[in-house]
Amino acid sequence: MLEPVLITGPNFSGRSHALRTLLVENGRHGFFVGPYAEAALSGLSSAVADEIEIYRSLKPLAQRPLFIGVATADAVVRRPATLSGGEQALLALHCFALSDYDAIGVDTALEQLDRLNRERALNFLNACGDANLRAVVIDNRVSQRDGWTICRSVPHDVGFELDFPGLIAMLRPQSAPVLDVLGLCFRYRSGHEIFRHVDLCLAPGRAYRLTGPNGSGKTTFFKILAGVLTPTGGRLLRNGAPYRPSREGNRVFALSMQNPDHQWCGATLAEDMARRKAQLNPVASARFPSLPVLASLAHKLGWTSLDQPLYEFPLAARKRLSWLWPLAGVMPWVFLDEPSVGQDQATRHELARAITHMAKIGHGVMVVTHDDEFAAEIPHVELRIQDRTIIQQVVPVG
Amino acid sequence: MQSESRSTGLPMSPTGAVLLGTVITIGAIFSLRPGSVLALMLEVGLFAALTLKRRAAAAAGYAMMVVLPLFAFMAAVWVIVVGRPPTIGAEIAHMPRTAALVYVAVICARLFIVIFIVRVTLLQFSEMTPLQFVGRLALPLLIKKLLVLTLSLIETLAHAVDRSRTALITSGLMTSRFSLRNFLHVWILIQTAWLTVISIAIARIRDKWPIENTMARLDDVLGRFAVRFTSIDAAAALIAVVGVAVAWSLG
Repeated sequence: MLEPVLITGPNFSGRSHALRTLLVENGRHGFFVGPYAEAALSGLSSAVADEIEIYRSLKPLAQRPLFIGVATADAVVRRPATLSGGEQALLALHCFALSDYDAIGVDTALEQLDRLNRERALNFLNACGDANLRAVVIDNRVSQRDGWTICRSVPHDVGFELDFPGLIAMLRPQSAPVLDVLGLCFRYRSGHEIFRHVDLCLAPGRAYRLTGPNGSGKTTFFKILAGVLTPTGGRLLRNGAPYRPSREGNRVFALSMQNPDHQWCGATLAEDMARRKAQLNPVASARFPSLPVLASLAHKLGWTSLDQPLYEFPLAARKRLSWLWPLAGVMPWVFLDEPSVGQDQATRHELARAITHMAKIGHGVMVVTHDDEFAAEIPHVELRIQDRTIIQQVVPVG
Repeated sequence: MQSESRSTGLPMSPTGAVLLGTVITIGAIFSLRPGSVLALMLEVGLFAALTLKRRAAAAAGYAMMVVLPLFAFMAAVWVIVVGRPPTIGAEIAHMPRTAALVYVAVICARLFIVIFIVRVTLLQFSEMTPLQFVGRLALPLLIKKLLVLTLSLIETLAHAVDRSRTALITSGLMTSRFSLRNFLHVWILIQTAWLTVISIAIARIRDKWPIENTMARLDDVLGRFAVRFTSIDAAAALIAVVGVAVAWSLG
């Protein structure tokens, strides 16, 4: 029996390097599940069935624990790239369970899973240990677990220091519009129905937490509000007037995507911001921070210059930078998709404070997170996706 | 032999179907006269009806949808504007517009045949995944791996474009419907998609593939599906060659 190893420590303390080393030590044949598709899936398949086939071993696997990450016939014909982040992590675990690898390393990927799937995944990793398979995990939401070996990473100074108090002091009040969602329906071209007659009133000055199982349509809902997808029925109102973002363009939401690399429109932050500014209407443009203010905001998120190439820095640092556009206060509503993924406990706590403050000063705030501990620090209204509709529920601060 | 195309009346392997498609495509490319093009169209139609049955109409409809706009455009240019084909024989010199129409029809019919046969080949094996299809081709492993990598690159490019488009829409640079803004920023879309492809490739090459030796798994998985070139495949290819020869002789 091999105890699973949990690597703990703050961001930039060398946890990922330690995971890779443990994964292949003693000549082990390691399987890697990184955060986001490019490091979780092989990239060699055009269908989920092919992804499974690539990893499926023909040898008997009697002692190996089972993990079902893809349960339906509809799912196996989908393109892996169209799966949500959580579904991709589940697929990767499914592939490992059927493979002949003798070690698995999971680098923060479980943080994208809903409560039920997360518990299933952690139990699976426990069972891997029982089957003499090495499991090495980095997960910012687990500091200890019975029967697991803890390996602490020692923090060292590598930069990217955060200054959240300074950042919160720079946030400016906003007067966000009320958004009404009336009879919203949406189904993909494949026929897969996501929403049926959703009615909601989203008021500024409070935070909303959008919840639902992996693959239930949380990101799809946001894509509809931001104009990426056109609803198949229903309408949106902005302060009572019709709002058609798929025609007019997104004029309401500043977003931070689950995978930060899904949101850049430039190679450097300066380029990204300049392009965004050029598209703003006069009202929003007037709120756009000056370059020194923008540089100061970026500095408080750990970036020393606006001209640093985005892709040359660690993912956790890029994730922090992805909060800058919402925090800049240009757009009246902010949407943060799994903002706490990959971030250590101290950072998650500070980010929760900043989000709470944004709601207080008049922004409309919507957050998608499976991190209950993080969400409990933000007074919010829960929007639960259930049976193709969205149910509102006020949640007291935990 | 493992499962072949279930919907087909001919139990061909992907290799046989691809070979037959290649013969027909070459036949279409080098068919310059209306008679041979027409004969080739009939042969392809017959093959589609035998293999796909009712779905043959859908394959033909697809090819028609692709070719019709080209036909309309070329007809407008050659029949209406120019009024004659690029070269004209003495026997129809008194009907230049009719000759131009025939010229356009032959070009479009050849394109139709190529698209139709590709579609028929793909539909024959629509129940297979791309990996299963490539795995069943009777080709050297290296070529099959290159085909899988090519498909992977296409998939990555498609994903990168989709991802970049989402980024540009959410940042206000584009809209999901047609707009002038989209036209003005298409170069940013290309730049962003390219950066995305590079970042995806780096993440795979640096993090995932070296740890798992992922590429080596293709040897095993492609070997699993290996199917021999059967006598039916050889017969189908031979019939196709004869068919093309007959069509050419008719021209």
